[in-house]
Amino acid sequence: MKKIAHVVCVVIVGVAIFCNITGCVRTPPEKNVVTVWHWMTDRDQAFKELAARYEEQTGIKIKINLYAPSDAFSRKVVASAQAKVLPDIYGILGKKKIFASFIEGGFVVDLTAEFQKDNKQWEKSLFPKALAANRFVEGNVYNTPPGIYGVPIDVTNIQMLYNKKLLAKAGIKHPPKTFAELLAANKALARVGVSGLVSGFGEAWMAECFASNYAFNIMGQEKVFATYRGEVPYTDPDWLKVFTVFKTLTEEGVFARGIVTKGNKYAEQDFALERAAFSFNGSWCVNVYHKMNPNLEYGAMLPPAISTEYPMRIWGYAGSSFVVNNHSVRKDTAIAFLKWLTAAEQQAYLARETKNLPANRRALASVPDVLSDFAEVMDQTTHPSIWPLDESSLVLEKFDKGLQSIIIGEKTPEQIAQEVQEVKEREMAKQKRK
Amino acid sequence: MIQCNKYRLYSGAKNFGINVFLLSVAVTCLFPLFWMLRCSFMSLDTIFVDKSLIPPPLVFTNYITAWTKGNFGVYLLNSVIYTASVVVGIVIISSLAAYAFSRLEFPGRNFFFYMFVLALMIPLPGSFVPLVVMMNKIGLANTRIGYILCMINVGLSMSILILKTFFDKMPSDLEDAARIDGCGRLLIWWHVALPLARPAIAVIVIFNSLNVWNEFILAQLLLNDEALMPLQKGVMLFTNTNSVDYPVIMAGLVISVTPIILVYLAMQKHIIKGLTSGTVIGESC
Repeated sequence: MKKIAHVVCVVIVGVAIFCNITGCVRTPPEKNVVTVWHWMTDRDQAFKELAARYEEQTGIKIKINLYAPSDAFSRKVVASAQAKVLPDIYGILGKKKIFASFIEGGFVVDLTAEFQKDNKQWEKSLFPKALAANRFVEGNVYNTPPGIYGVPIDVTNIQMLYNKKLLAKAGIKHPPKTFAELLAANKALARVGVSGLVSGFGEAWMAECFASNYAFNIMGQEKVFATYRGEVPYTDPDWLKVFTVFKTLTEEGVFARGIVTKGNKYAEQDFALERAAFSFNGSWCVNVYHKMNPNLEYGAMLPPAISTEYPMRIWGYAGSSFVVNNHSVRKDTAIAFLKWLTAAEQQAYLARETKNLPANRRALASVPDVLSDFAEVMDQTTHPSIWPLDESSLVLEKFDKGLQSIIIGEKTPEQIAQEVQEVKEREMAKQKRK
Repeated sequence: MIQCNKYRLYSGAKNFGINVFLLSVAVTCLFPLFWMLRCSFMSLDTIFVDKSLIPPPLVFTNYITAWTKGNFGVYLLNSVIYTASVVVGIVIISSLAAYAFSRLEFPGRNFFFYMFVLALMIPLPGSFVPLVVMMNKIGLANTRIGYILCMINVGLSMSILILKTFFDKMPSDLEDAARIDGCGRLLIWWHVALPLARPAIAVIVIFNSLNVWNEFILAQLLLNDEALMPLQKGVMLFTNTNSVDYPVIMAGLVISVTPIILVYLAMQKHIIKGLTSGTVIGESC
């Protein structure tokens, strides 16, 4: 028995020493310290550097905490919201519906007044499309009080990329601007044994994004929205043209082999390693390609248009945004830091270091050329999160799978149009019953 | 004579077949580890194109990058502290509890035991939010002790189940003999039950070591300070939203799996014994 008592004593003393040495006891929250939670591993060092600069300038310490990957970050934010231990500044990932639920729960400060101070100086400095992702308009579908609730740190848009060296090898002097030019370029590329377009269509949303670009180009925004409202069927000739784009690109051999099962990371490898001449990818790719192949020579271009009647509209939105915790006692300090972070100088630094498009339009002057290509068309962007209405998720699922079926030659555009329309009608009927 | 040759041929063919099968299983298990090691010595621009088994210029800087940029020194120490504390905690608590469930008569014995077994059915992610809320309420969030207690709780059910099954098979004669020698319940647990359950404890140690060593999600939920994070956090640092630094990740993985492989190798004999031991414990002792 003595031996057991001895062991127990040793364990207790051990635990006590362990607690003292390793800090088992929770330390009280520090005053004058703003805590930021984020998930962007590629921007962590840049944020920390900026935080150090801010502390030097103002004496306020900014504590940057990184939690990655993004799904683990989301879980932490949700759990912390329920425990009411959110930090002063954090990000909300996922659909706008989730953002709206955080606002409804009282976890997010309405920043509208701050953005409108001094003749809207802060608001005007940022890309409107970036702010749109954080803005809830009057009468929005989530019934969220109108206002701006988040601060965009950067913006992103999705375009086509072309490999300058491979195009030159095939004797193509300029990147194609029309669909016919794209098909001709592909033939020239095929002659020198180069694959055409690669993208992560294995992630269905990317194929949907590509289709959406052409839908806006072929029939214009109003008709697309009219389809979502159920006023125009998916069997309309214009939608058939959209589906046919995929059939044509497959039959002409423009899509690289295996495009329909490829995740975007693998598609990025293919383009970075010069296995394909074109890629359909977001502006984040600049950083990715730089890491995989720093010598890659490429440029950005809009997907070659089919129609001249309507402009090509690509997807673009706030890349990452921060919100301020409504329960924070340091709200004003947190907002002041975010204003400083989105000022031109800090945004230019972030863009240079992380190769992301800055949210502040004044910071564009000092970004790399490829990023400038992306930024130039920021005004031509649109995104489902800022549309006044949502298409049913079941319809979108059918739509996305349909695009994949066309690419693998399983179904025709007419069949897919019919199938999508059938789901749409069922969903409309359900809506009416409700 | 012919029959003898036939038998030899049959037996040789059988052995050959078994060896080929075992060899293929071994290769299947070891090849991913070899591939990880190989990739950890490559650069990001060669990793996708170079298909050679041993890359010609070995890049050692990935290990330096992983160690310095990934802050592996601090995280490795944390993981060692967490794994050791949790495993010791689980072994002590679960062996005491399992011994009580197996040998002591007390009201609600079966009820409490089945409660522990039922806890096995709850997936860990399902308990995340309540755990975070509770740890915040009792002031143990963002502390090492809070995380250690949660992880002990996670590993208890399975360990109690394994040890109770083991103690159930322990002959009561051994206990009687110890009682004649003047041992009380606690001393019987310490001098008789625990030494006999060594193979089962080895299984518990390795299972829980692996579990704690590889755990990351609960740590990320409960802990805020980087100085408290475990090793897996360092590995995650090189996984960006849009890109992955594969060679550095592989170097990080090599660093992170090495200690746990060493633990496994050190306990290998006991683990095999624990998984294959006879129906009555104490026979071989």
